Amino acid sequence: MLSLFEGRKRRVEDNISAAIQGAPSQEIDKSLFAPAQYDEQASEKTGFSNYSYWRSTFNVFFHNRMAITLLTVLALVLLFTFIQPYLPGQYEANTVYNNPVTGMQLQNQSPSLTTTYITVPEGTLLMGSAIDDNWYAVTNVALTLKARQAFTLLEYGEDWCKIEYNGVVGYVKNNFQTKLKLPADPTATPYESKSNFPISVYEEPVDYTNGGEPLYAEKASLRETGDGKVITIKETALHSIPSENPFLFGTNNIGQDLWARVWSGTRTSLWIGFVVAFFEAFIGIIVGVVWGYVRRLDRLITEVYNVLDNIPTTIILILISYIMRPGIRTLIFAMSLTRWLGMARFIRNQIVIIRDRDYNLASRCLGTGSVRIMMRNLLPYLVSVIMLRMALAIPGAIGSEVFITYIGLGLPVDVPSLGNLINEGRKLISSASLRYQLFFPAIVLSIITISFYIIGNAFADAADPKNHL
Amino acid sequence: MVKYVFKRLALSVLTLFIVITIVFVLLRQMPIEGYFDNFEKLSEAQINVKLANLGLTKPIPAQLWDFYAKLFQGDFGTSTRYSVGTSIAGIIAQKAPLSIQMGLMSMALSLLMGIPLGAAMARSKNKFWDKFGTVFIVFINAVPAAVYYIFIQLYGTDWMHISLLFDRTNWITWILPVFSMSLGSTASYAMWLRRYMLDEINKDYVRLARAKGVVSQKIMMRHVFRNAFVPMIQYIPASILYTISGSIYIESLYSVPGMGGLLVDVIGRQDNPMVQTLVMLYSAIGIIGMLLGDLLMAVIDPRISFVKKEGAR
Repeated sequence: MLSLFEGRKRRVEDNISAAIQGAPSQEIDKSLFAPAQYDEQASEKTGFSNYSYWRSTFNVFFHNRMAITLLTVLALVLLFTFIQPYLPGQYEANTVYNNPVTGMQLQNQSPSLTTTYITVPEGTLLMGSAIDDNWYAVTNVALTLKARQAFTLLEYGEDWCKIEYNGVVGYVKNNFQTKLKLPADPTATPYESKSNFPISVYEEPVDYTNGGEPLYAEKASLRETGDGKVITIKETALHSIPSENPFLFGTNNIGQDLWARVWSGTRTSLWIGFVVAFFEAFIGIIVGVVWGYVRRLDRLITEVYNVLDNIPTTIILILISYIMRPGIRTLIFAMSLTRWLGMARFIRNQIVIIRDRDYNLASRCLGTGSVRIMMRNLLPYLVSVIMLRMALAIPGAIGSEVFITYIGLGLPVDVPSLGNLINEGRKLISSASLRYQLFFPAIVLSIITISFYIIGNAFADAADPKNHL
Repeated sequence: MVKYVFKRLALSVLTLFIVITIVFVLLRQMPIEGYFDNFEKLSEAQINVKLANLGLTKPIPAQLWDFYAKLFQGDFGTSTRYSVGTSIAGIIAQKAPLSIQMGLMSMALSLLMGIPLGAAMARSKNKFWDKFGTVFIVFINAVPAAVYYIFIQLYGTDWMHISLLFDRTNWITWILPVFSMSLGSTASYAMWLRRYMLDEINKDYVRLARAKGVVSQKIMMRHVFRNAFVPMIQYIPASILYTISGSIYIESLYSVPGMGGLLVDVIGRQDNPMVQTLVMLYSAIGIIGMLLGDLLMAVIDPRISFVKKEGAR
């Protein structure tokens, strides 16, 4: 200790002598060393720091590049959910869309099918007829044979067989669906054959249909050649619907637009998340602070908590959905009613940790009221952890909406939410081509929850004064 | 210590009593339509007969009295809707072993994965393992379990060329459910262990040990890990006991005939005796698990004592 002091003393002396040597010619201003007069104003002057808690918090937060990126993503998603219905060419979330020509529901059209189903080269001859001013329904099916209709098989192939019927030469598919009747050696052509099912005869060994239904092409890329035929004058994309506006995310199993449903669902889920998180924080913080700070109530509230915590949420959810009409409000009410418990317990534990710190004892000794201590001494100290909990409460609420839907107590299907979209998609996973109906809502959901989680953590870090510089 | 345990047990019995009574009363507020499969087709007389059979026509206090009288004779009653006439103890005894087995396996797996991951994260702060672990933890915590469970099932079964469903006799079909179940707790074990270990690493005794020249490996194992694991040990008994409740998602995704979702299922079907028994079982497990956890912590770390707690400050 002594040597340390000696060291510092020596350093100070060195500095002084260096200063004197470095500026030998400068006259020392004597007035600086004159004894000061007593000045009332100067004695009131104190140390000043321009530290501001929230400014520092935002400063630290905005230096976290990951959080800023995700915040931007989240803001864009949020903005997009609101402007999406007003964009041109959008479909309705709850309208069932039919194929305008056949009147069939556009079920399970995967996104790749609705944009460009298939591309045909220039100069392809197709059967075609105009359905309106801009669109033609086209197909390359020359004719359809009735079941058990005999025809001559000219050339056998693994996928396509060349046949002749009534003077028309065409191709039929050779697969388990067409079940062509074949002799022992099918390559020894020609011979009489038939199918037990109605089969389509194509002009070329290629299928320009949507599972038998016609496809649609724009008028501009076609030229009529008479007798119901058209020829493509350039490379042409055939669509499964006669519209420029594809179903971006495809359609679901009753022909609703998944794109519109996903965004409408995102809107619902975010709304549920925000409102439930707000109530969760509001009730949870009030109860938690009282529980933690007021000693006389500690035992009582702990016991009440133990009781409430052990009542299954499902019973409460079912009872509420029985009492109130199923809908977003009911769900929000039911979730708020059950989710504040965890928050209250968390806040209580935090309060218990800091309630007997010396600054609070001092406050209490000076006669500060309990409410003021809670509001002024305790809560500001907990801002960062409360922020974290709130940011996590939003993805938590969204996730629990998924869970509630999963156990069958969620929103009705005509109120799309990410929860019931995922649940609908989940039922179709056994068929690989329909999995997109699960992917899209799941991806949007994951982006939202991960963003909230990371932003929440970053903000909690930023709100902790220990990380302020 | 013994006095403390008894006091807490007595309090737990009281809590349990209140929980069951509240649940009992809540269940009696359920719509009576729920007790019938074909409510619309029945005449009023038929409905009344069935309600009387279920014991629902008596006033609620009388029903409650009957229930407790039976309970004290050790009779949990029979299922009224889920599997009519079967004894509830029988149903649980039939379903629970599978859930417990699966739960214990997944718990062992998550300890096996979570602890090394957490320790590696704490040792390599801001290096590869820490970053990898953080991404993993963020993903598991942020994405709802339903979503990644489905994807694991989807691609896991494709990849292993097995059926989507669980088959008790085929051990390969155990892998995916057990693995999926373990992910959540792996993430939380890793997260907390990392946190506690970093707290310990910054303490003075570790610095002293390092200054003395104790090998880093030894500091980590003998000092840091042992101290960091104490707060985590508290939750182990509760986790072990809770394996009986199974996992709703996993068991319904893979069609595992276990306890998962049984409570939700019987609440939905308004099988009152079963709901009551299951609520009682799960509450008791929660309370006992918490108590065992506290005791275990006191046994492992002699500095922790619950007896003196009231005297402090």
